[in-house]
Amino acid sequence: MTVGEKQHAAGTETPPDVLDGPFSTRQLLRIDEALRLADRTTGLVFSVFVGGLDEPIREHAERLHRQLAEPDRSVLIAISPNQRQLEIVTGRYARKRVPDTYAKIAALSMVASFGGGDLAGGIIQGLDQLSRYAGKG
Amino acid sequence: MSVTDTLLVFVGIPAAIVLVIAGLVYAGSQGGGGGAKRYRPGRPFNFTPVWFLGRPEELADSGGTALSVGAQAPALTSRTQEQAGVEAPTGGTGGASDRW
Repeated sequence: MTVGEKQHAAGTETPPDVLDGPFSTRQLLRIDEALRLADRTTGLVFSVFVGGLDEPIREHAERLHRQLAEPDRSVLIAISPNQRQLEIVTGRYARKRVPDTYAKIAALSMVASFGGGDLAGGIIQGLDQLSRYAGKG
Repeated sequence: MSVTDTLLVFVGIPAAIVLVIAGLVYAGSQGGGGGAKRYRPGRPFNFTPVWFLGRPEELADSGGTALSVGAQAPALTSRTQEQAGVEAPTGGTGGASDRW
């Protein structure tokens, strides 16, 4: 199932949809903080998608990456918990800052957390590692 | 102490205590903790897909709708998805994949 199929009216009175997501409020705050820190220190645009990915998974992740405003400077982390699949997509410029080998190392440590059932922890750790590899922009 | 008194003290009071503790445990598991919403690898996990962006204005959407931090990813119209698919691939994207 893709995001596109989840088209229900954005509730105004109902609690925000994000609370139906996989994270608690405290985890959301931590992820938000990690994202902002990563963006600010590197100058790249980090983005995290958690949800189902269609086959072929890599292509779907790249399609999501292209929907960002500046794909070249963006790093997308796409996670599909049910398919147990992680994809890190780096844009053309972002790839120079975060080489594929480093992305792979970050992926390894994220996968280690996910395998233990800790989605939020893995995301935060991955963001931290990727932004450290990218250095100051 | 009559028989009823004995029963009340040695059966009634322990039963009351057991009931109170059982009630507390049940109430605790219903409320916080989010035990039901926990992700366990290998078990199906139902949730609303989410897409996080540090700066919400960074999402290029034809409708111009921004995605607020932590908000659910906007329902992408099929047109948007088609556009994204048709757009010349930026090429040179890199990254990594992994499974767990």
